[in-house]
Amino acid sequence: MPFDTTTLDAPFAALKSFDWGGDAAPFKTIDDAVVAAHADATLRADLEKRFAALLGTGTSRAAKEYVCRKLSLIGTAASVPALAALLGDKDNSHMARFALERIDGPEPVDALRKALGEVGSDLKVGMIASLASRRDAASVPLFAALLTSDPMVATAAAQALGRIASPAAAAALAAARPKGPAADAVIDARLACADAFLAAGDRPAAKAIFEAIAAAVATAPHTHRERAIRMAAQSGLFAAVDDTVAP
Amino acid sequence: MVTPLSMMSPWKSGGLSRGLMACGVLACSLMASLAAVAAPTPGARTLGDTVLAAIASNDPDIRAVAVDRLRYGLTGDWFTRAAGERLPSLPPAVQAAVLSALGDRGDAAAVPAATSLLGSSSDAHARAAALLAIGRLGGAADVAVLVKSLAADDPERAAARRGLVILGGTDSPAAIRAAAKAATGVSRSVLIDALATRRDRAALTDMVAAATDADALVRQAGVRAVAVLGGPGEVDGLARGLLQSQPGGSRVEIENAVVAICTVNPGHEQATETFLGVFKAAGEADRETLLPALGRIGGPAALAIVDGMIADPTTRKQGFAALTRWPDAAVKDGLLDLLRTSTDEGEKKLLLAALIRIAPLPNNKLNDGQKLDLLKKTMSLCERSEDKATVLERANAIRTIETFRFVVPYLDDPTLAEPACRSIVELAHHQKLRDAHKDEFIRALDKVLGTTKNDELVDRANRYKAGQTWDRNKKS
Repeated sequence: MPFDTTTLDAPFAALKSFDWGGDAAPFKTIDDAVVAAHADATLRADLEKRFAALLGTGTSRAAKEYVCRKLSLIGTAASVPALAALLGDKDNSHMARFALERIDGPEPVDALRKALGEVGSDLKVGMIASLASRRDAASVPLFAALLTSDPMVATAAAQALGRIASPAAAAALAAARPKGPAADAVIDARLACADAFLAAGDRPAAKAIFEAIAAAVATAPHTHRERAIRMAAQSGLFAAVDDTVAP
Repeated sequence: MVTPLSMMSPWKSGGLSRGLMACGVLACSLMASLAAVAAPTPGARTLGDTVLAAIASNDPDIRAVAVDRLRYGLTGDWFTRAAGERLPSLPPAVQAAVLSALGDRGDAAAVPAATSLLGSSSDAHARAAALLAIGRLGGAADVAVLVKSLAADDPERAAARRGLVILGGTDSPAAIRAAAKAATGVSRSVLIDALATRRDRAALTDMVAAATDADALVRQAGVRAVAVLGGPGEVDGLARGLLQSQPGGSRVEIENAVVAICTVNPGHEQATETFLGVFKAAGEADRETLLPALGRIGGPAALAIVDGMIADPTTRKQGFAALTRWPDAAVKDGLLDLLRTSTDEGEKKLLLAALIRIAPLPNNKLNDGQKLDLLKKTMSLCERSEDKATVLERANAIRTIETFRFVVPYLDDPTLAEPACRSIVELAHHQKLRDAHKDEFIRALDKVLGTTKNDELVDRANRYKAGQTWDRNKKS
């Protein structure tokens, strides 16, 4: 039996002015509709339209958060424009990303990539993290270019490249010469790439990275971090050439 | 000088294949399975050399990484043996690390090297590591080495003991049992403990025999083991041991084992039946020896026996003695009736002691309210101050506000104020109870402070009033 969408009007009207701590009982109908929408494309489209309308101005932040959570469950490309419009809004950017990270298809990734070039440093870190969670290979050149920007963004970019761990990401990290905290993040990301290559069975690629890092670290390390890096690189190097065990 | 792995032929590093060649038919089948293990590649051999060099190096970080590779990588007995061959040339601390890694590696090919190190090293920690590695990787043939090391000091003895517990192989339990039978003194006691930890039920006959051994250490180990593993089948033997034992230490130890088997261990109902059968068949003198255990085991069948004894004037006192040890409150009504009707002061004393002990027992099958009711009834039957004092002190085992309110009035009784102070302070120790009735406790603790001359109680009362705790172990 199809879901009776007329029962949604009142809860959606109440949702617009909902605030944290308020009575959430009326939204049970919406929750039920979201569950039903998984098997009902018409209902899903209807809900997406209703949710998108609530993401504009005049809706409370709590309501927008609720909407983003629901769109993370049933959102499609149709919801991307409304969510993308929130990416530059410091109050709602993270919840918009929460939804976009979970919506299938290239549209959410395109929107995040576009926003990366538009938002300020604080929000840029979030865009980088979301794109990294989608393992977006097309973002690699963008992240590479950010490795020399301010330390917070550069660190996030390095971590993202380590998470993507593609040959291009590894090459971008190898070419990077950042200073300060981002330099540490680059080394960690290179180790992450090497581990990923090893896990995928690409021993030569992993070995090359471990060798380069081992060579770059002083023979007599001064800090605990230097010691840890040296040991990680050496351990990885042994693992990369040890053909008696599966990577 | 040690030949680098990279310069060896694929099987040169180990004598296993050559040895097997000489073993005829057996070798054929084993060689077939060995053929499935690929020979190490030149790359692996080179890595093996690098790892072994790193283990021998003075760089602790790289050495740690190399030891880890030995632990988890470079699979194959060729590398296990190569690492074992290098052991003698390493410093003792590194030997210990390598032996630990070899143990984790789980390759029995390391056992000869570990055994050889035992013969050559004088470093206690390296020897202990070798014993642990033997325990982890060895088998029945290594029992003798481990048993021999039980005579050493710690950490070797502890490692040998652990090794005997973890030693694998289908023949090892039988070898350890044989060693335990042949050993004496400390070694025998340790071997019995090891068999108990291994939960080797096949050793139970020997454990029961050990439980009556003349050597106190062996006897204690036997009793410990039987108490853990024993079942109905061991009751007869233990009862015999109980009857042969001298009053005091050993008798109590064996009795503890009997009680554990009849009340806790799997099959305890059947074990109790067996024990009751032994008791019924025993003569009067033997019954007196078995009676304390019977009382501690409790249960309806035992109670019927005890009731019969109480009904017989010649065994009445023994029956009372059994009741004083009863494990739960099932006998409370009988005890109260007997106490009300008895005219014998000695009997009354025994019965009161039994009630005072049973009432607050944690697992006596009564809830807190029933426990307190029983204690109050007992108090009403007490005539002597020392009995009343004992009731007040036992009361604090029932941690309720009702118990607290029962004890508080006795703070005003000059003859019972001190035990009441002790009980109030003990109840106040329990923060949840104290905080839930803060005002009442503060008033009572003030009264304690004005009554007791005991410095510890004063200190504790002041602490509890201030919301602090008191460390029972430190006793400030």
